[in-house]
Amino acid sequence: MEKRKLPVLPVAAPPEGSRPHAPLGEGCFLGEEELPKAPALKEALATIKNWFRAQSLWVMAYGTGCGAIELRPLTTARFDMERFGMAMRPTPRQSNVLIVSGYLATKSLKRVIRAYEQMPSPKWIVGLGSCTINGGMYWDSYNTINRLDLYLPVDVYIAGCMPRPEALIEGFKYLMERVKKGEANGWHHYLENLDWYKANQKKLITDWNLPDYNW
Amino acid sequence: MTTTETLRRRVQLWFGPQHPGITGNMSVQAWLEGDTLTQGITHVGYLHRAFEKLMERRKFIQSFPIVCRICVPEPDTNEYLLAAALEELSGLDREVPEKALWIRTLVLEMSRLAAMLQVLGGHVGSMGLGVVPNWTYTLRDYVLDRFEELTGARVYHMYTVFGGVRRDLPEGFAERMETEVLAKIEAKLPVIDNAIFDSSVFRKRAIGVGVVPEEWADEMGISGPVVRAMGIPRDTRKDFPYLKYPELDFEVVTTTGSDIYARAWIRRQEIAQSVDLIRQILRRMPTEGPYCAKLPNMLTWTIPPGQTYVRAEASRGEMGYYVVTDGSDKMRRVHVRGPSYVHGVSLLERLIPGTNIADLSPLMVSLQTCPPEIER
Amino acid sequence: MKTIIDDIRARFSVEWEHEQRADLAQIGVAPGTVVPLLTWMKLHTPFVQLNHLSVVDWLEDGEFQLTYLLTDPHGHRSLMVCTRIPREEATMESVHELWPQAVTYEQEINEMFGIHFPGSPRQGVPFILEGWDDLPPMRRDFDTVAYMHAHHPSRPGREHVDPRVYVGKVFGERGYLHDDD
Repeated sequence: MEKRKLPVLPVAAPPEGSRPHAPLGEGCFLGEEELPKAPALKEALATIKNWFRAQSLWVMAYGTGCGAIELRPLTTARFDMERFGMAMRPTPRQSNVLIVSGYLATKSLKRVIRAYEQMPSPKWIVGLGSCTINGGMYWDSYNTINRLDLYLPVDVYIAGCMPRPEALIEGFKYLMERVKKGEANGWHHYLENLDWYKANQKKLITDWNLPDYNW
Repeated sequence: MTTTETLRRRVQLWFGPQHPGITGNMSVQAWLEGDTLTQGITHVGYLHRAFEKLMERRKFIQSFPIVCRICVPEPDTNEYLLAAALEELSGLDREVPEKALWIRTLVLEMSRLAAMLQVLGGHVGSMGLGVVPNWTYTLRDYVLDRFEELTGARVYHMYTVFGGVRRDLPEGFAERMETEVLAKIEAKLPVIDNAIFDSSVFRKRAIGVGVVPEEWADEMGISGPVVRAMGIPRDTRKDFPYLKYPELDFEVVTTTGSDIYARAWIRRQEIAQSVDLIRQILRRMPTEGPYCAKLPNMLTWTIPPGQTYVRAEASRGEMGYYVVTDGSDKMRRVHVRGPSYVHGVSLLERLIPGTNIADLSPLMVSLQTCPPEIER
Repeated sequence: MKTIIDDIRARFSVEWEHEQRADLAQIGVAPGTVVPLLTWMKLHTPFVQLNHLSVVDWLEDGEFQLTYLLTDPHGHRSLMVCTRIPREEATMESVHELWPQAVTYEQEINEMFGIHFPGSPRQGVPFILEGWDDLPPMRRDFDTVAYMHAHHPSRPGREHVDPRVYVGKVFGERGYLHDDD
């Protein structure tokens, strides 16, 4: 089988003030050319695909920040995230949800980018805590980023410092809804605007020594 | 080149930062010969938020929400230490009411209990026994429920402020603490004992592994369960008494062996000790009286120049705050000295040579490395 | 505590001393005295433990203050040894041969304050930061807000309120906080 290439799409920097990843219209990205030609069947298949995806969100166990302490109680019987089909996976290769649990130091951001790019598509990012949204309490720190969506495509933000496990469940349910509707297309947007994201990342990480895309 | 020499090639391996066995967001750069580690270097900085720099820019009261974020599993030690240091430098410490001292002791002991439960589960969780962490995390959740009742938050409480605490104990707190937390923990402890200390897997993997020689204790400044597992009765609560600990009845738990098993055993005993201490505190807590001193205007408060070092016993060991004031309304310098600074870097790097690769994760858990307090 | 300071006074020149608490004393010495003093203390007194090593930046005086905290783990008391070195081309003797964990402290101070400890391993090796090309960040003349504005774009909409003005607006002129004046 031929190796799939990155889609070559016209890259434009998102205009100032726009949401970095507006819905793309096309709900299902993977495998359009393999789908049947009939539009109704195509749509039905996409719906089924998205429904399956929403039922098996596998979370990468990477505690990037302090929010990770509320992820562990989620797996216990009290909050029990497995009833939503969610499980913790130890490696990026087996997971499709990356939870950025709080502030990201620039040193950490580099590792998160690498881990994110190694995850198989489709993949989603959940930004956890106020510090991923606008820097939170570390807004004036020299070492933490203020906006996560400049560097990685975020599908759902969960506000709070720190959000309770119930808030996390609510956030995940919202992510599931968006996946089912085919709206959670951050990973698609990342590939489309790869140059813009890479430019942002390289502007911040001065000693860039990663490949341009970590397969 | 002989076969043996070929096999003895050194392989470099990064353990973390994205690794399920690592304690937090840090990494160990390790070199291997076969499956034995020959050298390791701790790398931190993935969580560096520059707390110390930010606190130099903020007023004293604004430092409080920041300071508890230095150690996630156990934030209250940080809050208490900052309050204690600034109270000492400003002379406010003589005005802290009796009841506030008792509540502070209670909060510190509750946070020690929560952190101790978490790490006891981590001990066996890092060896692949997943059921005990599920129990201990649930028990920890019960402690967090009481924290929520007392302070309004599960994890970051921001409860201890200068001059006392933010809020009084709610009505019926002691009874709920007893029935919903302490009794449940005590009922579960024998089961946990069975699953951990009678498990042949845990015994085989923990006894004699990660031994810290006794002569390192003094020169490296090792503290907490790591030093008590050597048989040295060193505990900041006894040695440098603070709050109401001198009035409480408890013995420092020690054991011998100084390996992973001994440290897990110390933690198990200290959970029981914490439960007992919380009961004592709740029994002796005065019901009447103010819970906070009358505070100066926080927007204009200045503290005369001075420097001090205060310490308290966290679940990991001795935690210290070095605070320098210069007469302005902000701190000149605050330096946080967490026990992990020694345990997670110097001690871990000295222990790594000769360790099997599969034992690295249990070893790090048993040292209770908490990366945010290394890099702050 | 008094006896140990008298012992030190008999051997070394002490610039100032201060008893902060019953279990914590502070002394100030000249930079050249520090390493002989610490060596003597580790070998001949019960103060064998280096608890921490910290730096205070006195920008106005053009000096760095280094603070060594020694602890007597059996007698349960501590001694703070302070010294001041000039800020320009700051250099200090290393104590890593006395205490192995001092390497980490000196590595971090070298990175965060730019003080050089000749002979200490890992000098110049990044410990916390990565790819840092500005002033050492813990120095007081490093402006973290300016750096943040230059490197970390913020989301629009974040307002800055002066607490005094805000409290005055909401709760009247005097504010609601306890204030006797």
